[in-house]
Amino acid sequence: MPHLADLYRTASFLLRDLHEAEDLIQETYLEAWKSFHRFELGTNCRAWLFKIMFHRLHHVRRRLVKTSRVITIDTPERQAELVAEPVVPQEILDEDVLKALEKVAVEFREVVLLADVEEFSYKEIAETLKIPLGTVMSRLSRGRKLLRQELAEVARSYGINTRTKQADAEEMS
Amino acid sequence: MNSFSFDSKRCERIRQHLDSYLSNELLVETTSEVVQHLENCQGCSRELDARIRVRDVLQRAVVSRPVPDSIRADVMHKLRESQVRSFAGVGVRRWALGLAALAAIVVGLFTTEWLSLRRGEQLIESILKLGLSDHLICAVREHNYPEVANPPDQIRKKLGPRYAPLLQVVQERLPGYDVLEGHICSIPGSDRKYIHFIARAHGTILSVILTERSGATFPRENLLVTADSDSLGIYENRLSGMEIAGFESGQYFAFVVSDLSEKELLQLARGLAPGLNETLHKTTPVLPAKAATKWVKRGSSQG
Repeated sequence: MPHLADLYRTASFLLRDLHEAEDLIQETYLEAWKSFHRFELGTNCRAWLFKIMFHRLHHVRRRLVKTSRVITIDTPERQAELVAEPVVPQEILDEDVLKALEKVAVEFREVVLLADVEEFSYKEIAETLKIPLGTVMSRLSRGRKLLRQELAEVARSYGINTRTKQADAEEMS
Repeated sequence: MNSFSFDSKRCERIRQHLDSYLSNELLVETTSEVVQHLENCQGCSRELDARIRVRDVLQRAVVSRPVPDSIRADVMHKLRESQVRSFAGVGVRRWALGLAALAAIVVGLFTTEWLSLRRGEQLIESILKLGLSDHLICAVREHNYPEVANPPDQIRKKLGPRYAPLLQVVQERLPGYDVLEGHICSIPGSDRKYIHFIARAHGTILSVILTERSGATFPRENLLVTADSDSLGIYENRLSGMEIAGFESGQYFAFVVSDLSEKELLQLARGLAPGLNETLHKTTPVLPAKAATKWVKRGSSQG
């Protein structure tokens, strides 16, 4: 079954648990089968499946919002921290990367996954998520920064100092 | 204004482009500006490396997440279940037929045809990317061409006797273009060699690139549209903001790469293909020419 692993992995980082991800994948392929007549041969099948999955995901989220609490992680302090460009450890465990990823707010996380892991173009991401191209760009930029910030937290826990804005300015001079 | 504030501003501007640069989404002019800045600024260059590292560790980590074997079976089960519901009440015979049809669709379209088409698209894309990467690295990033065209004799010398005759073809078949440079190059980390011509017209840089096929071939099953019988099969796609046309000629893949429109680039590629093909067949030992490539087709829908 084409692209199942890619879809499943992406879903697993956007939902609360793996069972929800599995359900979403099943719904996605069911929907794909039902609307296969709408798939144009020769066009990008992978992008089409992702589009269906995010369409379903949107419904799932609306259902989940009613039952889950909202966590805001983008505090003003955090925004201030983002000005500095933190270092990322050279050696980092996959497990720690995934934990860091899960701390990034989902609207940024999904764009980072689609752009950096699935390597979709901005245009494809905009169509998949039904958001403007400019929003894709700003969310990707923000998402990458947030992820980097989280990875820098890991670096701190490994005992590595983060880079400062000042150090960077000195380098530029 | 002192030099410090100037550099800072410039770095700030370049850093605003780094995300799009990383995603290959910048226009060629901006890419070239970023690349030039990165060559001269250690700070921004390190910043880009850090961003690349974040992307690499993320990719590695995500792919490490196991995909349960049971998912495939669960999806099939769900599809069958849905089909049973759809056919309930219409009699056992029709239900059985429906199920058989579903199995055929699922097994046939979802696996064989989808995969074959997708593989075909991926293969076309990966072949076209050979030309794209050489153009992006050698012409756009490294800027390996002079402002004023190198003398033809110098270019011929760089190409060696085997490929020197190609220069005349490129000069003649690219109307309005100055052929600035021709050489044989390679991409760091790859053994592959590229015969690379860099031409310019009205500020637009265009590469004509040839590289050995090493047995690889464009997938015939993805070819749907016939072109006129005299032309060679030209595959085309837009990747990373560049239009790329490619075709096979004997033992070689030939590519024409630029940020022109699809129509303009295809027109140039069509003009170049027969001449390049003929010259390559004359100057290099070739396998029996299989010129059954009378097709033109977009590689995939990415553009």
